[in-house]
Amino acid sequence: MRTLLRVVRKWWPGLIPLAILWGLAAWFSTVPFEANLAGRTALSLRETILDKTRIEAAGRDLTVGADAFSEDGRRSSIAIAEAVPGVRLVHDQTRIVDEAKPFTWAAERNVSRLTLSGNVPLPAVRARLLEASRGIAGGIEVADQMAFARGVPPRFEATALLLLEQLGRLRDGKVALSDTSVRLSGIARELGGREAIAAALRNLPEGYAVAENAVAAPPYIFQVNKDPVAATLTLGGYVPDNAAHVALIEAAKRKFLNEKIVDNLKASVGAPAGFVDAATAALGALSRLSTGSLTMSDRKVKLSGDALYDVAADEIRTGLPGELPKGWHAEAEVSTRPPASAVDGTVCEQLFTELLGHGHIRFVSGQADIDNDSRGLMDRLVEIALRCPTSNLEIVGHTDSDGDEATNMRLSERRAQAVLDYMLRAGLPADRLHAVGYGQTQPVASNDTAEGKAQNRRIEFRVR
Amino acid sequence: MLFLAEFHWAWLAAAGVVGLLMGWVGVVHRSGGLSRRGLQWAAAVLLLAAASAFARIVPGRFGYWLDLGLLMFAAYIIGCAIGAWLRELVVADHRSAS
Repeated sequence: MRTLLRVVRKWWPGLIPLAILWGLAAWFSTVPFEANLAGRTALSLRETILDKTRIEAAGRDLTVGADAFSEDGRRSSIAIAEAVPGVRLVHDQTRIVDEAKPFTWAAERNVSRLTLSGNVPLPAVRARLLEASRGIAGGIEVADQMAFARGVPPRFEATALLLLEQLGRLRDGKVALSDTSVRLSGIARELGGREAIAAALRNLPEGYAVAENAVAAPPYIFQVNKDPVAATLTLGGYVPDNAAHVALIEAAKRKFLNEKIVDNLKASVGAPAGFVDAATAALGALSRLSTGSLTMSDRKVKLSGDALYDVAADEIRTGLPGELPKGWHAEAEVSTRPPASAVDGTVCEQLFTELLGHGHIRFVSGQADIDNDSRGLMDRLVEIALRCPTSNLEIVGHTDSDGDEATNMRLSERRAQAVLDYMLRAGLPADRLHAVGYGQTQPVASNDTAEGKAQNRRIEFRVR
Repeated sequence: MLFLAEFHWAWLAAAGVVGLLMGWVGVVHRSGGLSRRGLQWAAAVLLLAAASAFARIVPGRFGYWLDLGLLMFAAYIIGCAIGAWLRELVVADHRSAS
């Protein structure tokens, strides 16, 4: 023992280099050691369900802060941190998330953003709700403003996912949960969407009930655009059924003689009453414009564009509301196109012939009343007449050979006179106009066929 | 402690080498070394440090440095003992040969 002590006593000089080594070790190792400890602790806690996890190392001691979702979860996360090799002490700064009463959750979408807000029980549920939201967002931004909370009612996730699915059917709107009570508001993306949502809500998980369903159907839209440059008439939006579709396309063909019809209409339920009558009347008004567009939204008709002359503009503005079925409203923003340059009589007659080559003026069968379908054509004839102010016009009526000759003669005169009257109302001076009827005496085609008869029933313009 | 030793093995090895050299030299060194009182003080300080480390009463980084210091000291002492033992063997062989 004495020998041992004698030897040990001589070891003290080595303490000086040992102290230097110790200082160097402390200087170089402290930060890497702390980082290693914090990193391994974070790795160990990765499988635990925590939010806002914060790990700070000071030497071998850790401070662990986190929001846990249960007391068990909180305790087990501390136990895991304490078991990490190298850890000496763990300062527990974890807490349990607050309980929400009531437990509320909402998802709202507008044109540019889908926002999730309110309470959510667990990170995994949050991730699934966000994933479902991105699925229905259609490319718009998804904003997550949800906060974790306890007190979630049973079957929350299934309900929230079902509501998100319904939000996908809304153009804009909101779905919300307050405990087990469900509220929806907004406008459906498509016709029938409101009904589909109502049907889906019947499958809400047990215990949940709809407190309010204020989802509105989208407006029933019918749009027509007349483009004189491309010579097209583009129809879009909805029609109630196939019969209405055919009726409106036929009406468009009768009223628009020069334009190529582009049919983008889709059949859908939900049309307001009197839809076909209103659309036909509005198409008639549009046919009188040189360029324009027509939009029908539910029972509101909006017509805008340029008429060919002032009287026509006034007639369209004042006449359209009266032509619509009861309960419909019209808004006509019609101005007058600048008058076309004047031309001489020869050109005028050529223009009349060219225009009437596309189609004849139609009359009510056996009568001298100009058919509404021909108002667009009549306005174009008036416009041509206005371009040759120094020429006199002879309006000539002809009929086919059906019926007796004297009646046909009178009918052709009355029809020519009806056209003359239309032109007078348009503002042409009476002394320039002269109406004459030739009955069935000057056929241009055989009266043996229906096609030939149709060609013989005509009005001609002669410029003198 | 095991992880601490594993993480700082290079520093402990260095402390061990210093101890080995000191032990090697100490056997044949002629100076008297630490006085009895000095040895007692050193033992007391060592005991106090070890007790503090086991009781975990030194907080944060200071606690870590204390643990590290004690480990390095232990490595040094072990090195000293091995060094002294080896030197004793060499010296004994030399004596028996002469």
